[in-house]
Order: sequence, then structure tokens, then C-alpha cells
Amino acid sequence: MQHRLFRFHIHLFNFRSIVPEELLALFLALFIFIVPVSADTRFETRGLYMQSSEPSATTSYTVSLQYMTPQPVGSLDMLFCIDPIPYMPCVTPPGLDVSNAALTAQTGETGFAILNKSPNHIILTRLPSMIMGGSASSYKLDNIVNPSQANQAFSIRLKSLGSIDGSGSQIDFGSVRGQVQTGTVIETQVPPMLIFCAARVVEDDCIGTDDTYYTDMGTLSAKSTLTAQSQMAVGTNATGGFAITANGSPLAAGTHTIDSPTAPTPSVPGTDQFGINLVANNEPSVGINPQGTWANAVTSPDYGVPNQYKYVSGDVVAYSPNVSLMKKFTVSYILNSSPSLHAGVYTTTITYIASGRF
Amino acid sequence: MKRFKGIVLVVVAMLLGATYLLPALSANAQSSASLSIVPKKNYVIEPGKSVKDTIVIRNLDSVQPLELSLRVVDFTFTDDGGTPKLMLDESAPQTTWSLRPFLTVPQNVSIPPSSSQTLNISVAIPANQGAGSYYSAIIYSSGSGTGAGNVGLSASGATLVFTSIPGKVKEDLSLKKFGAYDIAANGNTSGYMFVTDKEPQSIGYTLQNNGNVTESPVGSIKLRDMFGREQTIDNVNPSGSLALIGQTRTYTTCIKLAPQTVDFNGVKTSANSCTSPGLWPGYYHATLDLFYGQNGNNTQEITGVASFWYLPLWFIIVLAIVILALAFVVWRVVTKIRTALYGPKTKKRLHRR
Repeated sequence: MQHRLFRFHIHLFNFRSIVPEELLALFLALFIFIVPVSADTRFETRGLYMQSSEPSATTSYTVSLQYMTPQPVGSLDMLFCIDPIPYMPCVTPPGLDVSNAALTAQTGETGFAILNKSPNHIILTRLPSMIMGGSASSYKLDNIVNPSQANQAFSIRLKSLGSIDGSGSQIDFGSVRGQVQTGTVIETQVPPMLIFCAARVVEDDCIGTDDTYYTDMGTLSAKSTLTAQSQMAVGTNATGGFAITANGSPLAAGTHTIDSPTAPTPSVPGTDQFGINLVANNEPSVGINPQGTWANAVTSPDYGVPNQYKYVSGDVVAYSPNVSLMKKFTVSYILNSSPSLHAGVYTTTITYIASGRF
Repeated sequence: MKRFKGIVLVVVAMLLGATYLLPALSANAQSSASLSIVPKKNYVIEPGKSVKDTIVIRNLDSVQPLELSLRVVDFTFTDDGGTPKLMLDESAPQTTWSLRPFLTVPQNVSIPPSSSQTLNISVAIPANQGAGSYYSAIIYSSGSGTGAGNVGLSASGATLVFTSIPGKVKEDLSLKKFGAYDIAANGNTSGYMFVTDKEPQSIGYTLQNNGNVTESPVGSIKLRDMFGREQTIDNVNPSGSLALIGQTRTYTTCIKLAPQTVDFNGVKTSANSCTSPGLWPGYYHATLDLFYGQNGNNTQEITGVASFWYLPLWFIIVLAIVILALAFVVWRVVTKIRTALYGPKTKKRLHRR
């Protein structure tokens, strides 16, 4: 036997000679090659102040920045785009117009005048002169028409150049971010809406329910599990989606309470236990899986496992991270009791709250 | 005559009975629990000024009226997502970012079946209020939930109200994580991936907000494979999602979007979802470039890099077969060369010491 083991070892040794350990080491090194997350912030001082942030208002912008490179600067290029990244294609923010802009004030590096301007582009020019480091510079531009879309950020891509006409290679660069917002929302589009209903039985689109907002689970017994179910339908056209939380204390009769598991747990008859989930179960047989073709709306992981029940007041039981057409969820309730449970009528009210997301 | 008196008495009794019973019936009447609300409101208000606005609530039930009571509560974040944690307890302390003192809403509203009602709300900011972000939620509680059962049900809605007071604020976002991200589906949990056998469809980044304002970053992500091919995600926060004060927020964005228009409650709505970006198996390198900054404050930039491996099972099997085939070919070549140089190999004799 030992002789055979030696022969096997010799065979392996030959194999190792044709698959060098170095190759294996290289392969492993590639696998564990991890580039750590890193972050850095460029241009500590640059910003934009919009005198008015109302959409489509004619206002003034003050652009502030600090030149970093001690070189002669002859022009400052300002390109207004949705995307702040310099190498990305420039899409003009809808409604923005800087073609009538006027340079009305400047601090720090001064002596600039407007050379060229178009609806989304301004070039400031001066005789090239050396940058004196230290303080920040600012340029106030009047008669700028704000973008019209309040929900979309925009940016000004800035770059300083040695030439007087914005040509040639850049010296410093960076972008400033702006966004128009409004005090009162002008409903130019269909406003976001969140539709929600809950009852023992609801229709898919919430236009009807059975108008029953309670469920009688029957008489408690240590030998069997009481079950019930209710339904809720929800949908939203808001890009942030929705969340539904279940709120309310566990069942109680006076000071006596039936506890709820704080983690998904199987139903155990003979113990004090109240729990819910939002899927079909067979232990005990209760519930229906979520109904609706739209995939965005889902149950929370803890409330989406068949035959596992949980109830913690305030928990999110279902949500969608973005737009979701109407989806119907069926809530399954289970109630177990121990022989020692104090006699009484155990009740609770569970409030399902549907909210937007941020 | 006696008969007439009897009839009059019965009628009077019925009227008296109705007078007592009708309010009682009205008080116990079922309320609808089907409502349509606005999920979110945003305002920019300077100190000393106020905004008057309206909120439309619809009763979708075609039979029952919708009886709502309104109140304003504070909220914070639940986790690293965008789900609000509503502070429903009446005795909950007011948060430092609470909008409750400034937000006025009606206390009750009754909406007939299949109707809508416009509610007036206002936000008034005191003249000495400091700059920053303030937010609370309006809760609409339906009158349902009563009955003879063990478990009563009640449906409520909540509108999140955000107000920004312009001025100099403290802005401080830091990047915590960045990489390929698996979005939760069908009860699965979500998370970052470094090595995955499933084609990544999303890129995620996690930011910690240590400032005193909510932040909504913009920017782009570049994704490069091991052959140098690049894809650009030019809008990394398409929903304008916020990182609340003190929150560590995870944002996700699709590598490739599948835009579609859907009909939601009779209106056309744009809905985007992630679709297969057609990634080849192998190593990927991603770079992140983010911008944030409130009006009148410095624009700040965050950059980050990350990497991940996409190794589907079929690729691993094919790779293993190729490596084994190469090894076999090399072994055969080495054997032939050895035989040619040194003649046939003789077996070593093993000696036991």
C-alpha cells in the first residue's frame, strides 16, 4: 500500500513539473487583486450663487473660483451643460440662455470682459497676466435666464487658458453645480402620485374594496394556529418609488400581550406568537404571493419568506425603488397561544402607511 | 281620533328616533381606505418668508367617503436606502431638522366617493432661522380600523416635505463604498459584489453625509473592461435621491437603462429599469466622478475607483478546459523533447530507508 502511495506521489511530481507553481501563483494573484476605494476632492474653492433659483427667471449668477496654477491667464471659458464632466458631450440645460449676459462685477483676478457669448457659452478675456495665488476670484453675470426644469441639476464647466480667446490648452479646470428650484410647484407635468388602499379584500386598482377593515381570527387555542389575511394595493409614478410600513402594537388584552417574533420564525402552536408575512404559505395554509406583473414592487426580505413570520411595528413590509404600476399584496396573519396565556379578548389595530421615498 | 293620535305618536317617535340614531350611524359609518396622494414636496424658502401651496388628495373608493385626519411628524432614515422612518409616537422629541414648527396643514378632511379635494398648506420660515435642510412628513390617517375583530386595519398615506433655507451651510459628503451592486429582488438582500457569476446590471456607491443639509449628487461613472473598452453612465442619480442629514446612503444606477413608457392610472409615465449591459466575462475597472453643492456654496467633487470580476460558471468551465488542454499540450511537448534529448525515461527505483 505504501509503495502505491509513493508511486502516486511520483506521478503527481511529474504533473507539477508541467504546471509550474508560478502559473498558479499568478492566477491567484490576479484573483485577489483588489483596488481599494479611494476618494479625493479637487478645487477646494469654486461655487455658484444664483440670485434667483426660480425656473426660467432672469437673474444674476456669481461664479467663484480659486486659480491654482501660477501661470499667465488670458481667458476664462464658461460652458453651461447638464453634465459637469468635461469630457462628456455638452447638452444645454433646457430653457437656459446666457446670450444676453453682462459682466457687472469681478473680484480677485480682475480685468476681464466678455469676448464671446452664445445661449450656453461665455468666454471672458483680458490681457494675459500672472495669477497671484491666495484669494478666490468671483465674476457676477447679470441677465441670465434660468433653466426651466426644476428637477434637473446643471453645471458650468470652467477652464482657464493662457490665450485671450479661449483657444489652446487649458491651465485649470473644474465645474460648478446649480439647480433651479421653486417655492410653489408649477404643475407643467403630471404630478407624482401615490395610490394606496387596504382592506380585507381590495381591487387591483383600488377603486373598490369590501369595506371590511377588521378580521376576526376566532378563539385562541394552544393546539391550533389561527390565521387571517388582508390585502393592500399600491402604485406610484414617482421616480423615488414607495415604501409601506406596518405600525401598531402586538395583540393585547389589557396588560397581557401576545409577543411577536423579531426575526422570521416558523409558526409554532402552543407558544404565544403573532406574526405576518406577504407571501403564500402552507404551514399553515394562508396567503397569496404578490399579484401584478410589475417587478419593481417587492416584499421586504424578512416578510417575503414562505412559512416564516415576523412582526415589528414600523418595519417596511413592501417597497419599490422607483416607478411601479399597481401591485397587490396579501398579508397573512398567524396567531398562536400557549396554555398559560391569560384569558381575555386580544385585539390590535395595524396601520399600514404608504409613503414616498427620498 | 284615537287611531289618528296613535299614528301621530308613532311618527313623532320615529322622528325622535331618527334624530338620535342618524348622528350615531354617521359617526360609525365606514370610511374609505383608498387614497391617492402626492408622495413628496420640495420648497426653497428664504428666512422671513413663507410659501402657500396646495395638496390634492383623491378618494378612489366609489362607494365610501374618505375621512382623513392629518398631522405632521418628523422622520429620519431607516437604512442606507430612501425609506423614511416615521416618528409616529406623539411624544417623540422634535428633531433638529424638523419642519413641524413651520408647516401648517388642516386637521381633518372629508372627501366624497370618487372625488378629490385640494388642501391648503403653508410653510413659514422665521426671519432668524439658519440655513440648511428641514423636513417632516404629513400623515393622512383614514378612519378605518374599527370593527368587531381581533385585528383592525387602517390605511394611511404620507407626504414627505423638504424645505431648503438658502445660505452658507456645512456640506460634507465622503465616499464609503463603490463597485458593482446586486439590487435586491424577490426577497433577496442587496449588496456590493467583487467576484460574481451573475452579470452585474448596476453600479452602486455609498456616501456618508456629515453636513447639515440633504445632498443630491450628480456626476458620471466610467466602466472599463480588461480589453480597454469603455462604457459611460452619464447620470448616476437619475431620481435625484437624497442623502439625509447623518445618513450613509447607497445610490444605485443601471449600467444600461431600458427606458419605457407605461400607463399609470390613465397617464403616461416614464419608467426606467436595468437591462443586461452585455458585459464580457473578466475584470472591470470603474471610476466615479461626483459633484455636489448648494446654491451659493462651493461645488465639491468626489472621485473614486473600484473594480470587480465577472466570472460566470460557463466561463470558468471553459477556462478550466482550456487550461487543462494547454497543460496537456505542454506536457506532451516537454515529454517529446526530453525523449529526443535524453532517450526514453527510466522509472526511478524507490528505496526505503
